[in-house]
Amino acid sequence: MRRTLSVGSLILSATLAASSIAAAPTIVGKDAPDFVLRGLDGRNLRLSEFRGQVVLVNFWTRSDGDSRQQMPALDRINITYQRAGLVVLGVSVDDDLRRSKEFAAAMGVSYPILFDTGSQIGKDYMLQKMPMTILVDRAGVVRYSAVGFKRGDERVYLDQIRELLRE
Amino acid sequence: MNLKHRIASIMVCGALLSPAWMAMGDTPPPATAPAAAPAANTSPASGNAADAPAPPAPDAPSGELKTLDQEVQGLKKDVVDLNKDLFVLQEELLFPANTQVALYISMDVGTFFALDAVTVKIDNKEVKNYLYTAREADALLKGGVQQIYLGNLKVGKHELVAFFTGKGPVERDYKRGASINFDKGVGAKYLELKITDRVPKHQPEFLIKDWE
Repeated sequence: MRRTLSVGSLILSATLAASSIAAAPTIVGKDAPDFVLRGLDGRNLRLSEFRGQVVLVNFWTRSDGDSRQQMPALDRINITYQRAGLVVLGVSVDDDLRRSKEFAAAMGVSYPILFDTGSQIGKDYMLQKMPMTILVDRAGVVRYSAVGFKRGDERVYLDQIRELLRE
Repeated sequence: MNLKHRIASIMVCGALLSPAWMAMGDTPPPATAPAAAPAANTSPASGNAADAPAPPAPDAPSGELKTLDQEVQGLKKDVVDLNKDLFVLQEELLFPANTQVALYISMDVGTFFALDAVTVKIDNKEVKNYLYTAREADALLKGGVQQIYLGNLKVGKHELVAFFTGKGPVERDYKRGASINFDKGVGAKYLELKITDRVPKHQPEFLIKDWE
């Protein structure tokens, strides 16, 4: 009887674990879906053209407070590591393109800001909560993904970036 | 060769190649391998001296390495060929010749136009919206031809409209359209969007060519 109960609890816990994994799909370990988007300066940028470099893609929205905090931190990372082969791309997923452009211009970050006006990229990257930050290695594979931002997270990004740059 | 035979041959090739790859690995043999090989060959045999292999000729390890390298190269070539066959097969299955429509884009000179985006509509339905990066536009200027769209269409009359966006003369925003009415027959249809310079007028020209 006890044995049956323990087996049952094991199956239940395994099912719960599987359902929690299924609830949070991730693209880590998969090839980063390619995209081409128009930037704030009018140039179009394609993700796959940065193959061979480590790419940090930051999806953000104007209305999100965490995104506002994160952008200056990413700017500092970009300034420090761009010579080492890091590319930082900010991708706005705001619906209001005009206001999003104004916001991006006001933030004055040194890395390119792109504007996603469709819905395909959101689906491809399984965007959930904003901001979402992903790290793509030199081979174009998503290696890390982080949702949200709190003070101190930039140190985690730095460790991951250094690891990928060393590869 | 019909489709069934091709699929069968590709599957057989794949089945034959996969164990070989698993056994050999993807990477070519390291350059330091010859150093280890002679050591293994020249070590004294612990068993019967008569059974021991004859000492190899001085050039044997490099010869073996060369053979191995040739085998690896041969396998790589087979994989590339197999991949090509699969690609062709996929195209034939997804876009059969009787419904296939392929659209290409080319650019000549480009003094009066810097391409930024192309939108293609067939029978008033948007089928493609393509943004060009500086690198892609540059590749077109250097003579590249890009397949911008591949799809299926029923036999009959159709209309294709293409909108070109970019920077025109004197760095001004420029948007122009071009359209063509074409008859889709039983064979594949090939169309080309051509961007050329009209020098006397200092303007770009957008044409759609129907390749019969």
